[in-house]
Amino acid sequence: MNEAPVATRQRPILRRLLLVAAVLGPGFITASAGNDVGGIATYSQAGAQFGYSLLWSLIPIAVALIVVQEMATRMGCVTGKGLAALFRENFGVRTSFIAMATLFFINTLITSTEFAGIRAATEIFHVSGYISVPVALVAVFFFVLRFNNRVVERTFVVLSLVYLTYIASAILAHPDWKAVAHAAVVPSFDLRTAGWLAMLVGIIGTTISPYMQFFLQSAVVDKGSRVEDLPMARADVVNGSILAIALAGFMIIASAATIYVANQHGAHIAIPQQAGDFAVTLKPLAGPLASLLFAFGILNAGLFTATVLPLSTAYVVCEALGFEAAIDRKFSEAPVFFTLFAAGLVLGAVIVLIPGLPLLRFILFSQVLQGILLPAELVLMLIVINRKSVMGAYTNSRAANVVAWTTVIVIGCLSVVYVLGQFIPQLLGG
Amino acid sequence: MAFTEGFISELVGRKATVNDIPVGKVSDFLVNDPDGKFPLIDGLIIKTVQGLRFAPMDTVADVDRDGTVALTLTPKEPAPPDQDALFLIADLLDKQIVDVDGRKVVRINDIEVARAGDRMHVVAADVGVAGLMRRLGLKSFGKRFAPGIYRSVPRSMIAWDSVAPIRDANPTQVRLSVKESKLARMHPSELAGIIGDLSAPEAAAVVRQLDDETAADAFEHLDADTQKTLIDDIGTERAADIIEEMDSDDAADLLAELDEERQRELLAEMSEYTASELRELVKYPEDTAGGLMTTDYTWIYPHRTAEATIRKIREIAPTSEFIYYLFVVDREDTLLGVLSLRTLLLADPSATIHDIMDTDIITVHPDMEADDVAATIARYDLMAVPVITNDGKMLGIVTVDDAIDAIMPEDLARKIPHFTARRRGPKTEIAGV
Repeated sequence: MNEAPVATRQRPILRRLLLVAAVLGPGFITASAGNDVGGIATYSQAGAQFGYSLLWSLIPIAVALIVVQEMATRMGCVTGKGLAALFRENFGVRTSFIAMATLFFINTLITSTEFAGIRAATEIFHVSGYISVPVALVAVFFFVLRFNNRVVERTFVVLSLVYLTYIASAILAHPDWKAVAHAAVVPSFDLRTAGWLAMLVGIIGTTISPYMQFFLQSAVVDKGSRVEDLPMARADVVNGSILAIALAGFMIIASAATIYVANQHGAHIAIPQQAGDFAVTLKPLAGPLASLLFAFGILNAGLFTATVLPLSTAYVVCEALGFEAAIDRKFSEAPVFFTLFAAGLVLGAVIVLIPGLPLLRFILFSQVLQGILLPAELVLMLIVINRKSVMGAYTNSRAANVVAWTTVIVIGCLSVVYVLGQFIPQLLGG
Repeated sequence: MAFTEGFISELVGRKATVNDIPVGKVSDFLVNDPDGKFPLIDGLIIKTVQGLRFAPMDTVADVDRDGTVALTLTPKEPAPPDQDALFLIADLLDKQIVDVDGRKVVRINDIEVARAGDRMHVVAADVGVAGLMRRLGLKSFGKRFAPGIYRSVPRSMIAWDSVAPIRDANPTQVRLSVKESKLARMHPSELAGIIGDLSAPEAAAVVRQLDDETAADAFEHLDADTQKTLIDDIGTERAADIIEEMDSDDAADLLAELDEERQRELLAEMSEYTASELRELVKYPEDTAGGLMTTDYTWIYPHRTAEATIRKIREIAPTSEFIYYLFVVDREDTLLGVLSLRTLLLADPSATIHDIMDTDIITVHPDMEADDVAATIARYDLMAVPVITNDGKMLGIVTVDDAIDAIMPEDLARKIPHFTARRRGPKTEIAGV
């Protein structure tokens, strides 16, 4: 008799994790994962502190985001390999090791900010973080290990739609739309005000996170997209980026129309520093419903990203260093992968529970690191994507190179000025 | 002390000298015939101020344990272009290869070489943590500060005999002598697993290295999506050759997934006999007996003797997939009876097939649903069931494994570790060994 037939293809881990991606595209998922707790905090703070005045920055950031993510998508479609694998094959062990160590470090910090968001959000409902964080940790493990369950996958899709509530809360806050429109297209610079530049760097860092390119490209590869699918994949990236930017804009508008406007009218509302505090601050300004919605949004974002991030980080690191990575293997078959996943997740949760730890500085630190890592990542991406031996006929166009290099230089300069500003506060008029 | 064995990461970047005068740095290693057990390194690529130069191995006078590489002649010849040979650093280091012995795709961290006399051989691929540490420059650090830990770092070496590089061989270049690929040593289902794990360009490169028969066996185990992608990548002509070698039911399943124009293109490249057979099979819906059946069954005329039949089977067995039942037909293909291999072996050698065949035959109609076909096979404990038309003409057989494939629920398939369900195609809902 014939030998027993064996269906062979592994269901790729990211496809399983994000079956959603098959419907809505990796670009949409990346956009959702990008608006995490840290993002919510940054955008809300930007609005609370500077009103609508930073809105304009979202337009150039959107252009850069689209160009950068299109590059990652194109590299995935053409080579069929993740970004980490391409880095390894083109730059060798040392560069990839440094990149992966940094990525793991930053992503663990980001994971901890997600758990911080989960903690803050549940504490609004009077549930102690010492209960909610371990529960969330177990829930995430369950999510990941049970992911062949379609119900969970569909839950994920529905959860990612929660982001749309930010649009509602922005509209409910009754902003001055004329002022919004003006601020969105007319750039204004406020280098003299303390914290303005830091906020700009923060917005860039959280909108174009270095990990998103790794994540997006791996998702494109796992979806099996190929050169023929490039037009579709590009459209998906453009849609996802515009959605991400629009949501960021609405978050800025929502907090600008409430906290900033109230402060302009003589109220002395302290600017909340963390995502969870916004829900509390919003309560007297926008009512209990808005506050609840906000808290729910944070909880959702935290769970979403705390699931995606440690898993995709472990996957990417293993890809670069050549370890087995598959969620449906036994521990003994992919020990490094499971260890990295568990370490990233548990560390992220534990950091949040250490009493008296200056979490805010952690978040800030991780954002600065992101801001510094991003130009480095982009330079490596640009080198690979312009190599004919890798990309064949699909190397970067001149226009894409111009935009990407401009992004590298602008972000690089901003990061340098920002870091210098941390050491020499006078530099930024502080 | 002379270098006898070590890793290319320890040799690359070393100063190359002629009469103690530096001429450049070692940048790569050239292997012309990578298929041998321990392939010979034919020469070094030296990075000089004039560019990359080739230093044949017989000009390498001495390789110091830790120092320089002494050459007898200044390398003048420019380095050959990439597609003509294998370069250990450019083509293999940090790239993925197939570990034929361990049956998986791994990334090469380092390559072990050995020098004997004036020859240098490639010995093994280092795919372990030790190789990573060496590349990171942590070896001496580890030895000095944490010798215990360093020694306990697992060393994973793959003997070169089991290393199959994944190189995109030039598709336009016709390979005249297809040497048996190391890849062909793997079980077709394992090979298919590897192909499924690779990126599309790499998967195509692997298939190009295989002979048609091995490729066909592997194709039978691939999911429809991967099959389609590969067919597009390896070109119509090669794809048709491979499909011709596949079991007819699998080949028909594959064709059924393609659009009509693509089907026509592929069928046009095949022999008329196979093409017409496949054209018939493609017509049946995939979840019926007709869709499950293969036309690769063993048939026999009733007047032969048992002895002659056994002799015949011995002849055809190597190419025939299913020989456990013999189907007795007349010249019009009407099914007259069935004979098991067991009955045949135990029969008197001079008895005719007509005398020993079983005429009480269980058959199914091509339109019968897959579930009912499986039930029939189960009820009568068959290894295969013949598919016949209303007027008794033999069309093909459905084998028990294909029947199981068709009815096994996807959930069950998912529980089986390592292999998950194929997403489409008649065999789809199944997995398992």
